[in-house]
Amino acid sequence: MNDHREPPGSEAVGPRSGVRSPPGEPDQVGGGVLQPGPETAVGTAGGVEGAPRPPDQGRRRRRRRWAGAALSYAVTIFALITLNFLLPRAMPGDPIDALLAQGSSGFVFGEEARAQLEEYYGLDRSLAAQYGQYLTGLARGDLGRSIVTNTPVWDELARRLPWTLLLIGSAAAVSTVVGLVAGVHSGWRRDRPMDRALMTVLLALREFPPYLLGSLLLYVFAVKLGWLPLFGAETPFSGAFGPVERVIDVGRHLLLPLLVLSVGLTAGNYLIMRAGMVGELGSDYLLLGRAKGLRERRLKYRYVARNALLPLVSLTAIQLGFALTAVVLIERVFSYPGLGRLLFEAIAVRDYPTIQGAFLLISVGVVTINAVADALYRRLDPRTAS
Amino acid sequence: MSAQTSAPAEVTREVEPGPDQDTEPERPRRSPLLVIGLSLLALVLIVALSASLLTPHDPRAISGPALQEPSAGHPLGTDVPGRDIFAQLVFGARTSLIVAAVAALLAMAGALLFGVLPALVGGPADSVSNRLMVFLLALPGLPLLVLVGSLAGESHLVVILLIGFLGVAPNARILRSQTLTLVQRGFIGASQGFGGGPLYVLRRHLVPGLGPLIVVGFVNWAGLAVALEAGLAFLGLGDPSGISWGLMLNRALAQPSIYFSPMWTWWVLPAGLAVTLTVLAFTFVGVALEPSFNPRWLRSS
Repeated sequence: MNDHREPPGSEAVGPRSGVRSPPGEPDQVGGGVLQPGPETAVGTAGGVEGAPRPPDQGRRRRRRRWAGAALSYAVTIFALITLNFLLPRAMPGDPIDALLAQGSSGFVFGEEARAQLEEYYGLDRSLAAQYGQYLTGLARGDLGRSIVTNTPVWDELARRLPWTLLLIGSAAAVSTVVGLVAGVHSGWRRDRPMDRALMTVLLALREFPPYLLGSLLLYVFAVKLGWLPLFGAETPFSGAFGPVERVIDVGRHLLLPLLVLSVGLTAGNYLIMRAGMVGELGSDYLLLGRAKGLRERRLKYRYVARNALLPLVSLTAIQLGFALTAVVLIERVFSYPGLGRLLFEAIAVRDYPTIQGAFLLISVGVVTINAVADALYRRLDPRTAS
Repeated sequence: MSAQTSAPAEVTREVEPGPDQDTEPERPRRSPLLVIGLSLLALVLIVALSASLLTPHDPRAISGPALQEPSAGHPLGTDVPGRDIFAQLVFGARTSLIVAAVAALLAMAGALLFGVLPALVGGPADSVSNRLMVFLLALPGLPLLVLVGSLAGESHLVVILLIGFLGVAPNARILRSQTLTLVQRGFIGASQGFGGGPLYVLRRHLVPGLGPLIVVGFVNWAGLAVALEAGLAFLGLGDPSGISWGLMLNRALAQPSIYFSPMWTWWVLPAGLAVTLTVLAFTFVGVALEPSFNPRWLRSS
């Protein structure tokens, strides 16, 4: 899913669907302080160096902003936790009905059984009491039990999480490197055929739904050519393999999902890097460097790319959040045993505790990553730091 | 098109760079992306409108034996209970366009209500609604959709509404920024000073200033809605008896041997391509309109 699109050079156009764009926001997120007068939200926050402030005031301001960011993070997390509690109860349908419709083979449920179940799950109590129970359970790391397997949801999540992290981590690394190199090249030679080609290909690839791309790749590489495995993250019973063979085995299974996820992420990195490069091109230091006789290559990477790098740093962090949602689709295609696959399996049998647990883990992960990205950006960019 | 209201010289430069192009600033070049995107959308629209003319079959009804190969009666064969796949494909266009239109309309209406209106009123209304939008923006979209979609059971409507709802915050932020800059530039105050009524201001200043952004926002969100709806249906959310490209993919990939039979080419591929082309069409239109509409680009270039 293309959760995150960033038109070139458009921090102003900003965020889409839950993924925050790096530069525009911090001022608002910073909470606490109300801006005097309407800000022209087009520019990055507070990019103007005014008269030098006494250092003490600056520190207090900064601290207030950090506190504001922390507060808004806490509020968001709390809202997610509460939504996770309220939504199932606000929706039509009854969890007991779902449960009874589940594996009801051999059983005939009467009103008595229903009452017992309601008592067992605490559904007969008041909403407030249920909420309190839910919160205390959560504090103990208790996400309930799967309706289908009757194992603790948390155990299952913990078992799946490493695979998802492996997939996301490697995709973030690949897409950052590829996006960076392509973006530097493209921005440096703006509007040349290579720039046009890269732009078109990457933008078009991004619009390919991951399931189609993944399905195509599977068909070609796993079925027609038979080079790569068709599903899963490991060969069954690979525990008997030696360590090197195991790594190769995991790598072979990882390759295609990694490719699909990276394609989605690369375009964003590429665009922001390209925009950064283009933005730097008219700078005076470039002229100076040329006059000094610096080689183009050095100028391109050591000077321009370095200045354009900043937004990429926080974009990479934000992209991790996006990746965490994209894996839901990708893992389904490749039967990759991560969180997304778990969510899909749980949806198929309407295993609500598992769906909710996965929702909570994924969404808290996304929000946390975004908050870290924000903080990182604020720390790295002196313009937004003051 | 209101592209003419924004400086055409810059438009030309964005679309067709090179100094010699600037000598003729009066006629902005029509971007090929725009043409391609609009033609694709027109195609999808025609298919959606004439779906019942294109196929004699009911996409929901069993019209033949299961898993038939393509034939004259079933151009793309049949799926498992024996429904016509081609019929699902053409009727799927209807679903996708309806989802796109409703969700994007909702998103933009919400954006007007929570972005433009408070910005015009100013004061606490603006800061409160802005704070609210920032908060909504922080909520992760897809996980929320999945949770609500799985809880909503067979209702498709809830998902559409939620996709639209998710579009409110990002678009409200964009429109609010633009409204604030419009207000700040002072010509609205000036025209009021000369006795221009609210309707006059709306017609002469707000609509030309905001309209382009609303159009781009609508197009972008429509494309995203198509992708989201297909993705959710692909995950098995929404109405299981509905007609949707994502649902076709969901069913196709649920066949254990789908990759090892030629079924793949007439079941997975058409549905996947249909989603891709529709999303791509919206994106093309959005990308083509954006540089001519985005005030920031005009100023910086």
